[in-house]
Formats: sequence, structure tokens, C-alpha cells
Amino acid sequence: MDPKLGDLVHRHKEIAREEKEKNGRLVFGTLCSYVPVEILHAFDILPVRLWGDGKNHERADALLPTYICPPARNIMAMGLAGHYDFLDGVIHSYTCDATCGLFNIWCRNLKPAFSFMLSPPYMDTDEAVAYGIAEFKALIAALEDYTGKQYSAGRLRKSINLYDAARERIEAIYRASRNGAAVRYLDLYQMNLALQVLPIERVVPFFDGYLSNLKQLAPRKNGKHRIMISGSVVSDPDILARIEELGGEIVVDDTCLGYRLVQQRVPPREDSLSALARYYLDRPPCSSRADFPARKDYIVKTISAFDVNAVIFMHQKFCEPHLADHPFLKNVLTEKGIPQVQLELEGEGLNGQIQTRLEGFFEMLEAR
Amino acid sequence: MEEKKTRKRLQANTALRQIITDFYAEGHRAKAEGRPVIWIPPMNGLIELFYAMGITPVFPENWAPLCAAIGTNRKNFEYAAKRGFSGDLCGYFRNNVGYALDGINEENQPLNGLPAPDFLISFGAGCIPTMKAFQVMCDHFKVPVFRADLPQVAMEKIEKRHIAYGVAQIKRLIRFLEDETGLKFDIDKLRQAVIHTNEACRLWDEIMATRSTIPSPFSAAEIGIMFVMVTRHGTEIAVNFLKDVLREVKEKVARGEGVIPHEKIRLFWDNTPLWYNMQLFNCFEKWDAVVVAETYTSAWSLRLNPDEPLESIAYKSLVSYPLVSCVSLNKRIELITKAVRDYKIDGAILHSNRSCRPISMGQMDIGRVLAEELSVPSVMFDGDHMDAEKFSMAQFQTRIDALMEMILEKKRAS
Repeated sequence: MDPKLGDLVHRHKEIAREEKEKNGRLVFGTLCSYVPVEILHAFDILPVRLWGDGKNHERADALLPTYICPPARNIMAMGLAGHYDFLDGVIHSYTCDATCGLFNIWCRNLKPAFSFMLSPPYMDTDEAVAYGIAEFKALIAALEDYTGKQYSAGRLRKSINLYDAARERIEAIYRASRNGAAVRYLDLYQMNLALQVLPIERVVPFFDGYLSNLKQLAPRKNGKHRIMISGSVVSDPDILARIEELGGEIVVDDTCLGYRLVQQRVPPREDSLSALARYYLDRPPCSSRADFPARKDYIVKTISAFDVNAVIFMHQKFCEPHLADHPFLKNVLTEKGIPQVQLELEGEGLNGQIQTRLEGFFEMLEAR
Repeated sequence: MEEKKTRKRLQANTALRQIITDFYAEGHRAKAEGRPVIWIPPMNGLIELFYAMGITPVFPENWAPLCAAIGTNRKNFEYAAKRGFSGDLCGYFRNNVGYALDGINEENQPLNGLPAPDFLISFGAGCIPTMKAFQVMCDHFKVPVFRADLPQVAMEKIEKRHIAYGVAQIKRLIRFLEDETGLKFDIDKLRQAVIHTNEACRLWDEIMATRSTIPSPFSAAEIGIMFVMVTRHGTEIAVNFLKDVLREVKEKVARGEGVIPHEKIRLFWDNTPLWYNMQLFNCFEKWDAVVVAETYTSAWSLRLNPDEPLESIAYKSLVSYPLVSCVSLNKRIELITKAVRDYKIDGAILHSNRSCRPISMGQMDIGRVLAEELSVPSVMFDGDHMDAEKFSMAQFQTRIDALMEMILEKKRAS
């Protein structure tokens, strides 16, 4: 991968600050992939996903209980340390209980000039889409009020097209990986993150470059084990790298950011808002928004499509949605004869316990 | 010393025990007679609909505190653990899942346990553990499931669009129930159920308001009366019981009879009680202190409009979760601030509850508001509303000692 993209992702807060200072753009923090970033973009607002790696979260102890997941605590700690002091607003879309609490505590203590929480429906029926549109309209009214700008359906369609173009390219890279192209999952990880934290206009050329470069590379020397990772926020590249070192080829994911978000395009309907609502509700839902049949459907289909032969669950400590799904999904995999292991992430990255667990898992796979 | 003996139990508890027994017996009777039994999540206002249609509702979440009080929660936790569920999950979840999947098959259960469901309602609503517990049950019991959703909206942000969406879900549910049971929905019966609920809520507020008198006629140890607000809304049972409670507590107020003889310190409790250790509320007596208000009981402080029964139960469904959780942190702080003033609170106890992230998040902010804006000292202790292994009595006592010293010092200074 072009090292520049990794560098941009690493410097994304700095870049957001520059966008604000040099180009006068408003910058809003988002807490969830269900925030309709296209609407923010249509108001020329730069959405930046608040993203924590789970480390260095002690500073948050003054505001959050210690039994909240490490990434949420880390985000709060970064906020308190001023890492996000350039934000003009914060937007959340209710998914898990902990992020909702984080949003409210953030707003109360860091006092962003603009804040908004969407309450999306859980279903994808027509009435749910109509309600989803009403939620979007409430956000738009609040944005009009705050920015003094008028909503434009045309601008929204342009923003949608931009995001769709980026998603289309990432999906193409997943497909290429599935078909044996020399894609490293760590590259996909950076691209998925880039989609969330960088100005969208800047990322598409990198994805195009990556795709054309792939065509010139020899196919990947296949690792022995085609792995799916599953979990909520996975923000430890060290662990992903270790999985690869041990002979695991991560071909697809079932995580907060990743394949789930890039498989679909916003339908090309006349009414951009209803098309956008349909997109967010039709997407394979995350654990916080899915029932068991939906979770099973996504996992089974994806495992089959990517020819996965082992699954690594990467669960953040105290993450109730994923911990509640885990026994069910474990049974689904057992029925299909797919080996799996669970890693519990406590905000320490690749620690000894995780190393041992991974090594044990791969030894078991080797012995099969 | 004899005169110091506490008088903490309301006579109404005798009637309450019968109401609890009758409620569970009714479920078993319905099952035996072939009438439909439906398991529903707790955080919705739809109980009125079921009673109006003659369908017997069962609330697994309400079963959990009973299991904790009886002690069967430990066995249910073991069952959940054997099925692979993490000990970090909410205690209600672990108890209810353990019970539904395995505990339900045990013989000689208290109150004969829960009758197995004929239908399940699975909501996208409320907190994640409740939603997920029902997903586990839907996967386990091979019965028809109605899936609906009710988004989590901050109390102060509820608007017409949210109510309208709630009403649409309820109409869909009515069609499902009519199709599955052959029973007919009657709007006038629902209206009557809403009238009962409204009256129960009004009585509830009046009962709670008596605790603003000094001395308080009852303490948080009586929180069990909430059973009727969870299970018997929409019925005369709740109304008649609450009328009796109100009469009893008013008589106590008229006699100047407090829950303890020499009340000196008035306390506020934030978050759920420890259901396995309700006696904890009596341990404040040695400081002549009483818990006179709590967050949890305010979930029923609402009014419904019988002229709009569908909208009313949609509204009730929408508010019951945000009212006491961090979905509406500012609203919750507002509510606590009002309670501190109305109930003349001297100090607050914040239960940092490992089993409930939504209620526990925001407690640091609450503590700061209490100290900085209301000059009310508070302490926080780590606990769990279902799991005694996550609670340390020694730590609790140390914290309470510190709180009492702060309160007494403040009283001495003033």
C-alpha cells in the first residue's frame, strides 16, 4: 500500500485541524458507522470518526466506570486531553448503550457547539424507512440552523456518489483478495479506517492506485488458513500482524468497520434522502442492531463467499452486544465445522495472553 | 434500646405477597387452560394491550429480582456460563438466559417458575442486554415471534414522529396477536386499561410524595411495591393495591410515624437496588438515616391520555428506558436535582452497577452536580444488582461510614 495513506490515517486529527484552519470547514466527530456522513458532507462539514485503540484510558476514569469497553474509555481520555479540541460538533446514532453514555458524557463535559443523537429504527420495513427519513430530516433541520446553509438534495447526491465511489473501490479490493490477489488485510484495515477519519475527497485516488498496483503484482502466496475476524471495534494492528505472521490470511471481517459497510451502494433513486435511509437500514446490521438470524445470515454467507476456514473473535472487554452473540455464533460455526477462538481485548494490544492464545489456536489448526 | 427498633415494613406487604403469588399462578393457570402466554421485555408500555386482549404477559426481567431474592440466581448464572455466556454480561441477562434455557426444567421451583411462552415479543428497544436476552430466547423457544422496534430517544427529544412510529409498531403487533390467538382487539378495553395505568401512576406519585415529610413513612426497603407498576399496570389490581398503600402511608404521616424512630439523615439512592440484599437499606438505621428517594422509582412518574390510548402506550414505551438511563443524562440530573430539593436530601449513595451500564454511566457527573451545585455529599460504591460476588460489604460499609461523617460534619458546621 502507498505508505502515504497510512501516514494520512495516522495524522488524521492533524489533517482535520488543517481543514478547519486553512479551508474554514466545520469538523464534526462521529461515534458510530450509522451516522449518515453523507449528510454532513453535503453541508461541507468534515466528519471524523472518534477512534480509540483502547490504550491509555486512565484519564477517562474520572468520568466513566472502569467496566466500559477500553475504546470508549480511550476516546473519552483523548477528549479530556484535548486531542479533539478542534471539533465543532459531535454526532451519534444510537447503537450500543456504552457509546450512547459516552456521547452524553462527552457533550456534558466537553461542551461541543453542536451535538445531535439520531435514533435509528432497527428494521428495514417501509415504515421504518419513513421514520428513518424523518430522523434524517430532523438532523438536516438542526444542521441548517447551526450552519446557516440551506439543505440541497443535489449536494447530497454528490456526497453520496463520492462515498459510494470509495466504498465501491474498497469492496473491489476485498473481492480481489478473495480471488487471490496480493492484498494484505492490514492495508484493508487502513483503508476502512481512512474512509472514516479522512476527507473523502482525498482517499479515492489512493484506493484507485492500490487497485491498479494489484494488477501488476503476482498473486498472493496463499497462507494455510483463510481467516475471518469478528468483533466490534478492532483497533490493534499489532494483533492483525501477528495473525498473519502465524500463517493466518485474514480475508474478510465482521467488525465495526469493514466489509459490512462497503458491500452496498446507495440506491440511485430520485429522492436521495429516502435512498440514503434505505442504504443504512439495508446494510448487514452490526451486533448492536441485529437479531440472531441476521447475524447468522451475514456470517454464513460471508464465510462461504470468502471460503473462510477459521474465525477469530476479537471482543472488547465488557462489549455486551458481541459477548451476548458469541455463544450463538460459536454454535453456528461448530455446526459448520469451522474452528474458532475468542480473544478478549483489554486495551493492552498484543499482550502475552493474546499471543499465547493465538499460537495455541494456530497450532490446533496445523494439527487438523 | 427497645424503642430504637425499626418499623420498616408496611402492612401492604402482606397483600403484595399475595399479588405476586397470584400473578405467577395466573400465568400457569392460563397455560393449563390453553390460553396464550406471552413473554415480553420489561421496558415497554404494552402491558395494557395484553391485558385488554386477555393475553397473559410474563416478564422474564421481573423474574430476575425474584430469583436474586430467593437465591436461584446462582444456579441460573451457572447455566448461562455453561452455555458460554460471559460473566461480564448484565446479571438480568445471565439469570434470564440461564433460566430460560435450562433452569426452567428444574423441579420444585419457587412460585412454580415461569410458564413456557406461546409467543415472544422481541424488540429493538431499551438496553442491549434486554434486547439480546430476548434474541437468545427467540432462538431457543420454537414459538412465533413478533419483532418490532422502538428507538431509544432522549426523554426531552421525543417528538410526534417517534410516537407515530411507536403507534405503527403497536398496530402491527395488534394484527399479529389477532392472527395468532384469534382474539379481537377492542380499543375501549385498551382505553380502560390506560385509565387504570394513569390512575396507578397518579397514586404512585402521591405515595412517593409522602416521603418528603419528615420523618419519612417508608424507606427504599419497600421498593418491592413497584411489582404492581411493572406487572399489573392496566388493571384494577394495581390501582386497588396502591390505594391501600397510600392510605397506610398517609396514616403514618398523620401520626408522625417514621420508618425509624429518630430520623436525622435523609438519603438518596441512585441506580438499582441489590436485589439479593434488600436488608442493606436497613443498615443506615444505626446513623438514624433513611433512604427516602431513589432514581429507579421515578420511572413511573408519567401521565397517559385515555382519549389517545395507542399514543399513550407508545409514549409510555418510549420514556420508560431513557427516564432512568444515560440516554437522557441531563434529564436524569434534572430529576435528581429536583428530588434532592423535594425530599430534603442530606446525602446520596451512587451504586456503580456492573450489571447496568446505561444507568451507571453519568454517575460521576451526577456526583459532581450534587457536590458543586447542591452541596450534597455523595459516595459511590461498586456493586451489581444481581450478583453478590461483585459486591463487597466491607467496601460498602467503609464508603457509607465516610458519607455519614461528611453529612454529620456538614450538619455540625451549619
